[in-house]
Amino acid sequence: MNVSAEAPTSNISAEDFERFREYFYRRSGIHFESTKRYFVDKRLIDRIQAAGCADFREYFSLLRFETSGREWQRLVNEMTVNETYFMREHYQFDCMVQSMLPELVARKPRGEPMRIWIMPSSSGEEAYTVAMYLLERWPELARWDVEIVSSDIDTRILAQAEAGLYSPRAVHQLPAAWLQKYFTREGENWRINRSLREVVAFTRVNLNERAEVAAYRNYDLVFCRNLLIYFDDTSRRRAAEAFYDVLRPGGFICLGHSESMSRISSLFAIRKFAQAIVYQKPLEQA
Amino acid sequence: MPLNKSTGMPSASIPEVARATVLAGLQAADPALRRSAAQTLAGQPEAVPVILDALERESSLAVRTALLDSLAATPGDEAVQALAGCLRSEDAWLRNAAIDLLRGMPEQVAPVIAHMLIDPETDIRILAVGILDTLRHARVEDWLLQLIDAETDVNVCGAALEVLTTIGTSAAIGQVTTLMRRFADEPYITFAGRLLLNRLGRSA
Amino acid sequence: MKHILIVDDAATVRLYERAIFEDAGYTVREASNGLEAMETALAACAEGQQPFDLYVVDVNMPQMDGYSFLRALRQHDIPQAPAIMVSTEAQECDRRKAFEAGANLYIVKPARPVPLLRNVKLMLGETQ
Repeated sequence: MNVSAEAPTSNISAEDFERFREYFYRRSGIHFESTKRYFVDKRLIDRIQAAGCADFREYFSLLRFETSGREWQRLVNEMTVNETYFMREHYQFDCMVQSMLPELVARKPRGEPMRIWIMPSSSGEEAYTVAMYLLERWPELARWDVEIVSSDIDTRILAQAEAGLYSPRAVHQLPAAWLQKYFTREGENWRINRSLREVVAFTRVNLNERAEVAAYRNYDLVFCRNLLIYFDDTSRRRAAEAFYDVLRPGGFICLGHSESMSRISSLFAIRKFAQAIVYQKPLEQA
Repeated sequence: MPLNKSTGMPSASIPEVARATVLAGLQAADPALRRSAAQTLAGQPEAVPVILDALERESSLAVRTALLDSLAATPGDEAVQALAGCLRSEDAWLRNAAIDLLRGMPEQVAPVIAHMLIDPETDIRILAVGILDTLRHARVEDWLLQLIDAETDVNVCGAALEVLTTIGTSAAIGQVTTLMRRFADEPYITFAGRLLLNRLGRSA
Repeated sequence: MKHILIVDDAATVRLYERAIFEDAGYTVREASNGLEAMETALAACAEGQQPFDLYVVDVNMPQMDGYSFLRALRQHDIPQAPAIMVSTEAQECDRRKAFEAGANLYIVKPARPVPLLRNVKLMLGETQ
């Protein structure tokens, strides 16, 4: 690492912004409009200084060569809004009940359960949202056994998910009726009701460990939103391969709104529904 | 590409019985079974010819992907050479899938890349430059500058400029300028060269 | 304004073609491989969006090459548009592959601005 006598970078040149923008897009799929210049520059300068680099070029080199990927993860965290809350990117859940599930049941033998995997679970907002959607917006629920599994590598966050206690901020997008029906007030916060907690199984999994993921098979639907952007190319590809094996033929996978399989794997077909673009494991493996 | 011990497949030689099972698996009618069989071949240098053979016959994308992944997860020269050999395929998918994998194997690629960059076939040289694109190796810029000095094909030079636009340093300025003079009648080279020099000049 | 989708994994090539097309008054979107192009093309056919009038497509790209993209494009039930394939490969058999995949025109790289624009206008049915 250079020990520079000069002041660290206090501004990002237009050329450096371009170079950074292209690189970030290539690695994460997230594209910054030129209008976001100020937003990006500020955070980039912060990261350059935090990483102890003298200038953009040194930082850029660090990003590209660092094997641990830690700085990349920190950078992505800075550049993305990664707050989790109920109903986040709910257009995909609309797609689930209006388009994906109907297609899945049309092919499903009677008695075979519908299996949904949500990963990472984080503190559980996504998994519980899926459960509420099924209860409130899927008329066919009564006729099918649904298994909802949500997994994470972090055991502390799994415990949090199981405890199911949420801040007002986390629940602010929920329809009032759902909040009343599925939660109980606890001071400032909201605790998820036992009926809902029992519907989701939280498990610990490391997506990078092939042996651990091998236990997950025959899922109809996978949600993996805003996780893969943190991975490097190799791990990302491995994860996509793992999801392919996790899904039944014809099963669907949804990524985060700025993420795309197009930079990761060619195994999935693109399916465009009215509510969302999702990916599907081909029915007939050609 | 380093393989975690805990995710890797057994690295001991395949005993005869297991070998027969795997080979049978590779010929199963169900592509899911063929894919499983392909996945078990990872990490075993003696399986390289088996993988190459299967790749030639296999039509399922999922199985082909698993075969290539196993190749990429196998240590040794033979595996890297096999992947590099895929660049000569008529199949565009195979060429590009191999490049993608090679990009993630900087240590194994380093000994073979110099050769590929001077391959008599233009298309191979272009694809080889493509490997350098995100390759995490300190010598990438050196290799590209060396290439630019001697390269006569305009598209290979164009590809090199593309990579230098991302990873180039002020060390490249002189040679890029010379290249632009050499191809002064090619608007794309002028465009790409100017873009690159612009970036280098400012961040130097 | 006619809307063009540039499909190429090289950012510099996309910038180059963008500059040429925007200069001539077209609007442009970019995709860095065939799969991304497929997603972009599908999204452009949604309510209130403008479908593409022309695709300018490279051959060698990760995830989904140019030929595969064109084949997939022709199979989808969306408004179809002409496609110019741009590649370094100059042999006869590659032209044939391009046309069989659904390209309407095949140009060898590096594409010079004047002939490229002429071909674009030709494909868009705009006489000079």
